Amino acid sequence: MAEKHKPAPMVEEVSEFEVLEIAVRELAIEKGLFTAEDHQRWTEYMHTLGPLPAARLVAKAWLDPEFKKLAVEDGVKASLEVGIDWVNSMPTHFGTPSDYCNLRVLEDTPKLKHVVVCTLCSCYPRPILGQSPEWYRTPNYRRRLVRWPRQVLAEFGLQLPDDVEVRVEDSNQKSRFIVLPVRPEGTEGWSEDQLAEIVTRDCLIGVATPKPGKTANDPRPVRPAVNPYHH
Amino acid sequence: MSKPHYDREHHVKKATGIGDPQCFKGEAGPPKFKVGDKVRVRDLPDIFYSRTQVYTRGAEATVAELVYESPAPEDEAWDNTENVVWFYSLIFKQKDLWPDYPDAFANDTLETELPERWLEPL
Repeated sequence: MAEKHKPAPMVEEVSEFEVLEIAVRELAIEKGLFTAEDHQRWTEYMHTLGPLPAARLVAKAWLDPEFKKLAVEDGVKASLEVGIDWVNSMPTHFGTPSDYCNLRVLEDTPKLKHVVVCTLCSCYPRPILGQSPEWYRTPNYRRRLVRWPRQVLAEFGLQLPDDVEVRVEDSNQKSRFIVLPVRPEGTEGWSEDQLAEIVTRDCLIGVATPKPGKTANDPRPVRPAVNPYHH
Repeated sequence: MSKPHYDREHHVKKATGIGDPQCFKGEAGPPKFKVGDKVRVRDLPDIFYSRTQVYTRGAEATVAELVYESPAPEDEAWDNTENVVWFYSLIFKQKDLWPDYPDAFANDTLETELPERWLEPL
């Protein structure tokens, strides 16, 4: 009985990339490019980021047509209203190197559904969405979403009618993307807080649509691929 | 012999407080394409680095938006920020990218951004 309840080890394995990161970080600190305190501050800052500001942005856009227009035209400016300053944030103050500063808000309609992927790496609007989920970074998702979007979305539980245009956004230059989904039925008269609760991270990436009462991402069971990628 | 001086902070100085790609605004000159133009993605050789996906090469697309000005990734990867070009958001028909894409979903599209040098008019 006691055997079964042994705590799991904190670190099972350190990958080569983690070793590389530590080596480069320590060299940079020794060289004086930044201090250990800077690094700690940035790391802590990264851990404060999450999808809540983006959910708030969507809720505001649903309630205020003027704000929706601003969000679609200038995502960076609209982000300021939900407390996210793309330009003047740590660590670089010109957009963290892999996030840049060009947020585009993709507006869904009843006949158009956007879904975001980065086929080249895992570009993700971190200042407004936090760290990407593990599946977003997998070669499986990145390779297959552009090729078989409907099958991949179906694996996420999202089956779309034939007459809805699925638009895959391959985010591999300097823009970063969030999806502004269609406001679901059954949310009439809701407050901004209530609306923001149903805009989950998955809705903002585009692999789910908001539903009243659904305030969390689905668990991601691992299933065999419908069209596995072969070289 | 004097050591060659290389300013490793030129990008930081330029972009801080303004943002990247915003800091390259106005440097690309007049854009070659406008919204609605039909273009084809060129199949240029890429040496060492590119962000032009192979699946887009040779495919037709429609310009959806002129998004920003920036050095192309092939240059920027080597810290060459002198040749700033326009970046376009392009919409492809999935059917044009993948010949076996099902006809039932002929409306499906893919959108991605590419620098001007990779595009030719159609």
